[in-house]
Amino acid sequence: MKETNTKRKRHHFVIFTPLLFALNACATIPTAQNPNSIPAKVEQLGEMSYLRVSNIAAQTRKQLLFVQAEISNSDSDNQQLFYRFKWLDAHGFVIGNDDPWQPLLVYAGQKQTINGLAPTPQATDFRILVSSPDNTGNP
Amino acid sequence: MTNIISKSTAIIALSTTVLLIGCANQTPNLQSGNVAYGDSQAVETLTNEFGSTDLQSIAQSMSNSLLQSPVLRATARPLVTVADVKNHTSEYIDTKAITDTIRAKMLKSGLVRFAVDTSAMKNQTDELIRQNSGLYKKSQSKKLGQMEGADFRIEGSITSIVKRADDVKDIYYKLSLQLINNESGVIEWADEKEIRKTSNQSMF
Repeated sequence: MKETNTKRKRHHFVIFTPLLFALNACATIPTAQNPNSIPAKVEQLGEMSYLRVSNIAAQTRKQLLFVQAEISNSDSDNQQLFYRFKWLDAHGFVIGNDDPWQPLLVYAGQKQTINGLAPTPQATDFRILVSSPDNTGNP
Repeated sequence: MTNIISKSTAIIALSTTVLLIGCANQTPNLQSGNVAYGDSQAVETLTNEFGSTDLQSIAQSMSNSLLQSPVLRATARPLVTVADVKNHTSEYIDTKAITDTIRAKMLKSGLVRFAVDTSAMKNQTDELIRQNSGLYKKSQSKKLGQMEGADFRIEGSITSIVKRADDVKDIYYKLSLQLINNESGVIEWADEKEIRKTSNQSMF
């Protein structure tokens, strides 16, 4: 009987140990995100209910990084968006940080385009900060 | 008895410490009244008059458009100056604040140079005259007649249309800018930035 108990304990150990390792692995390995994907380029102030950044295109035009993003409104009402661009250099440092928040009215079910031009040739990356009054956050 | 004395001493010491910590200012902020610092880049919609967001949006849009214009890209670091931007609106707008912001944004790019404008010319000539007054070493004085003439000048105007219907007030602003070749007089670039602001003045 004593031997059976020990066997059971060993059996539990064998089952739980890999499970624990698996759970631990899930917790520590960060989810890989493509640095050029839309979620990697967009910073939301709260979760936007109806607006979303549906497309982003970026191109260096004669030394300055030019970014164009498409905003889609899935609601049947017009939605107000606030947005700004954040520019980063090759090392990830913020450049300037003086882009103003800009308002944009997105009509019901429509798509609107926003543009941004890097302030200096040193800017090689960007983030688009977006907020809508229906969000939990507000600039 | 000694125990009671030591306990009461400890209580007094503890309360004094708590009191002192409570009195100490934990943040470097001397506050009085309802004054608070806010985000200077935030969208401002306090009233429908020309505001900081309008100024920032106009300057951003115009500097972006100018920096992408083929004419400024054709020459390496062209020299530009800012002429007058006339205010044709019904309200007071400091147009120099708009052009100063546009100039700062363009200078920051490093792709354009700016010559002193007419408002800064007096300071420039005064400085040159002072340096050539005989008070300074000749070798270190900046020479007269070495100033560079700008290749282009920026000028324009801001206009507005105001309409009221019942409780609704609608204001439409339009800033027009042109880039003019100083030698040929040709308008090489022009752009407009429009802003519409509508407010409901209903009291209830």
